[in-house]
Amino acid sequence: MAETCAIEGDQLTRQFGGFRALKGVDLAVPRGEIRGLIGPNGAGKSTLIDVLSGRAPRWSGTVKMFGADIGAMTAQQRRRAGLARSFQRTNIFPDLTVIDQLELAARAAETPNIDEIMAELNLAALAFRRAADISYGDQRRLDLALALIGRPKILLLDEPAAGLSIKESLELAHGLKDLAARWGVTVLLVEHDMDVVFSICDRITVLHLGAILAEGTPEEIRGVPEVVTAYLGTSL
Amino acid sequence: MTDILATKPTVTRPPPPRPALALASAIGAFAIGALIAATIQSNLMMTLLTQAIISGILATGVGFLMRQNGAVSFGHAAFYGIACYAIALAMKFGAIRVEVAIMLALVLPTALAFLLGLVIVRIPGVAFSMLTLAVGQAFYEFAMKARQVTGGEDGFSVNLSSTVFGIPTAIFQDPHSMFVVSWSVLVLIILGLALTAASPFGRLTVAIRENEERARFIGYETTLPRVLVLTLSAFVTAVAGVLFTLYNSFVSPDVLHWSLSGSALIMAIIGGPRLIWGPALGAIIFFFAKDIAGDFTEHWQGIIGAILIVVMLVLPVGLGGALAKLWQRRLGHG
Repeated sequence: MAETCAIEGDQLTRQFGGFRALKGVDLAVPRGEIRGLIGPNGAGKSTLIDVLSGRAPRWSGTVKMFGADIGAMTAQQRRRAGLARSFQRTNIFPDLTVIDQLELAARAAETPNIDEIMAELNLAALAFRRAADISYGDQRRLDLALALIGRPKILLLDEPAAGLSIKESLELAHGLKDLAARWGVTVLLVEHDMDVVFSICDRITVLHLGAILAEGTPEEIRGVPEVVTAYLGTSL
Repeated sequence: MTDILATKPTVTRPPPPRPALALASAIGAFAIGALIAATIQSNLMMTLLTQAIISGILATGVGFLMRQNGAVSFGHAAFYGIACYAIALAMKFGAIRVEVAIMLALVLPTALAFLLGLVIVRIPGVAFSMLTLAVGQAFYEFAMKARQVTGGEDGFSVNLSSTVFGIPTAIFQDPHSMFVVSWSVLVLIILGLALTAASPFGRLTVAIRENEERARFIGYETTLPRVLVLTLSAFVTAVAGVLFTLYNSFVSPDVLHWSLSGSALIMAIIGGPRLIWGPALGAIIFFFAKDIAGDFTEHWQGIIGAILIVVMLVLPVGLGGALAKLWQRRLGHG
């Protein structure tokens, strides 16, 4: 299993004072899979992404990327190794033009080509505009472009569709699925929009109170009574 | 493929940098400096202008740190003053040639800024400002207390040799010729900083200023670039200290006092720190406002304070920023 896993977390624990946000979580996402990570607010989804991406300062357990322990790596080193992420809140450089920040990201990723990502995310028309001056939806796409530049091997997405309309969310989701398939990117997706999650994810992990409640295909997850009770309700 | 990720329009690359235009602007600026020196006969006016330009270099250093790192320093007088004292003490003890002393005066504060920066740039916001204030005041207190070496509060005259780099020292002490020298140095510094700011390194430091976390998550180490900006800023400040010492041949602890850093900050804010040349414009306005206000009242600081308040409220981009906007609007409308 370890050789085929793009990203693995073993016994991941993170504590904020007396509150345990992650309680020994085991997660293994095989290469090329789109894995959904769902759960109610406070379940530990973003904390798990933070631990995997190197953002969380104190945690315990093991994080492996393609079988290699990356726990001691900084966020920068993980990014250079091919692990990229986006953020729950739009996380861009407001004062820089779109092209300037994509060129910076491309330089860090040692890829000369930003045309590819600008075309994929339809940002070319906005190239010379300040990021602060473009619409929220465009900012979300720019945020995603910053993560995708250089074709990362693993992409951790923290609510990429937050704030987008239903139509935009679904467009983004299916575009992402297509891109991940073409580029061979493994995706771990935290998202509250269940239409997005259930339509593009190969498998879904449900977190609840810092522990894994269930894991399986979308169909399997729909059939887990605890998940329906704790999170999904009867809408799905 | 769906709409949002589908279309593939062609990206038009940004226009390449135009070094010829920058060079032409610099040559034009040199010519303006020479013209000012040739036109104005009054020694008093030229003294005022020369002081303003030297302070403008100091303010340019402070402003560059604000522009690239978003950091406010209350301690840049330390880098300025160390440069002044490096020359003054070297001449006092006759240990080395003035040319070597000048090199030392540039290297010492620059190296100090680099080493300090490795620690202090990690500290955000007001805490950074307070740390720079503390470091600066430590050097001031040392200069005040070490009377045997520094002359304490009284300071001391600097005995410069008759030539500096083969140029008669008198050139550096005549307000007309020193104005041309200082102006030329200022133009070169602004040109150098503008090229730095437009480079990938300059864009990276702006990105780090804007969103350090994101810069880390696209793969950049974020401490060293900020340290290098502080170092460059200190170097520019040290250049101002060298020019000050050559021009005045006198040093006292005033060159290390926090109020000098504060004045440089005021100049930068009045002129507009988002522009490389803004702080230098602010310095000229500051000196003329101080001179004019000084004719009416000994409380000229109150008038400078009022100007500062008005600029911050009405023109948050500074006077330079407002001028630049006007210019752009004029160009935009043909």
